[in-house]
Amino acid sequence: MSLRIELDRSRCEGHGLCEEAAPHLMHLDDDGELVIDIPEVEGADVEAAKAAVRVCPVAALKLVSS
Amino acid sequence: MATRSDSGIVESDIDIWDDAVTVDPFPAYTELREKASVVYLPKNDVYVLTRYDVIRDALGDPETYSSTSLGFNPMVNEALQGTSLASDPPLHTQLRATLTQNLTPRALRGLKVTIDEKADQLVAELAATGSFEAIDALARAFPLEVVSDLIGFTGPVKENMLRWGQAAMQVIGPMNRRTQENFPIAGELYGWCSSVTAEDLTPGSIGRGIFDAEARGAIPEGSAGHIIHQYLGAGVDSTIAAIGNIVALFGRHPEQLALVRQNPDLVPAAFAEVLRFWPPLHIWGRTTTREVEIDGVIVPKGVQIGILFGAGNHDPRHYENPDEFDVTRNPTDHLSFGYGPHGCAGQGLARLEGHAIIAALAHQVKSMEIAEPVRVPTNITRSIEELRVVKVVAA
Repeated sequence: MSLRIELDRSRCEGHGLCEEAAPHLMHLDDDGELVIDIPEVEGADVEAAKAAVRVCPVAALKLVSS
Repeated sequence: MATRSDSGIVESDIDIWDDAVTVDPFPAYTELREKASVVYLPKNDVYVLTRYDVIRDALGDPETYSSTSLGFNPMVNEALQGTSLASDPPLHTQLRATLTQNLTPRALRGLKVTIDEKADQLVAELAATGSFEAIDALARAFPLEVVSDLIGFTGPVKENMLRWGQAAMQVIGPMNRRTQENFPIAGELYGWCSSVTAEDLTPGSIGRGIFDAEARGAIPEGSAGHIIHQYLGAGVDSTIAAIGNIVALFGRHPEQLALVRQNPDLVPAAFAEVLRFWPPLHIWGRTTTREVEIDGVIVPKGVQIGILFGAGNHDPRHYENPDEFDVTRNPTDHLSFGYGPHGCAGQGLARLEGHAIIAALAHQVKSMEIAEPVRVPTNITRSIEELRVVKVVAA
């Protein structure tokens, strides 16, 4: 089953902890805005996506069934 | 209404603001956490949350756990109405955005180099002296300088900032002697923030920028003073506590400082562990907007909740060997900044400051010996009052 990483941009403040947890799935761009590079995740990426969602200090990330 | 004994709620006769408890709350945290996830304290009329999962769930659920009662006396909750701190979504979302605009990591990026250099220079000077008192000379001096540069104030205001910042936190407690004594001092801060104007603040500072934003109509009229009030009220005392804790924990655990010296990539993990191990804040409030079930027991609607960050951070259900200070643990999900929509608005700045101090210690200090930290009873912030570094060897 594939899952989708959802970002609530109004909550995101660019703390960047998600990028540290899953650098191949998301990154902060030059303006400090979060870019989800791989929104649909499956297999081994699911654990990394879960870790990224978990460390977001302002609960701006969610993992939903796609 | 069901009585507490009917609802299955566990009680404890611990007074969470007892002098001895606030100085060393960890034995009380352990006792309460082992009793239940939520424990009613008749002496305080507060339901405390004690275990990691329950605390994190409550912080992430502002619909059930309202921030309108974040303080433990009605006067402070009244005074905080209209701030993002004490409001719930959707109003909160707008107030928070205004508050954090200048505090997000992306807004603060330009400050990193300056903050790192200041910390390195200050720690180098202290290390060269052979022995020093770390609270006044470092834990207080550094954030006071960073925050005064940021907001752009100088002179007598800077002199008052320490007592104002301490008082702003004390008055969040219950209406005990500490709260009563501090209300007039917190009032001085409020008065200054209500009267400060753009011209009082250094051109180019973030504080000046907030007033410019108000003049342009980008933020509501009258909100600039409130924002500065929150920066000072929330950002001074808590950061001072964190930096004092850094010195005390590395002084007590020289092998952990050695690990960071060998591998400076550990700096962010080390700061997260300092915050997990000794949270700067002892307790923070919420109120229930409905009857809520917590781990099988029913907590009534409209009661005062107390979140014990340190009890959650030392919950063995979540962290292995929680009472061990280990800089390699990297507990990025610690509770000390709170979590969710009300998560600490200043955490980006706090990280810049904390990382700068740890990096400076790792860079400038080969070893240090400390005396036992001196603490005094407080309501909300748990900080060290005096910390002698009796011997420091510069790197």
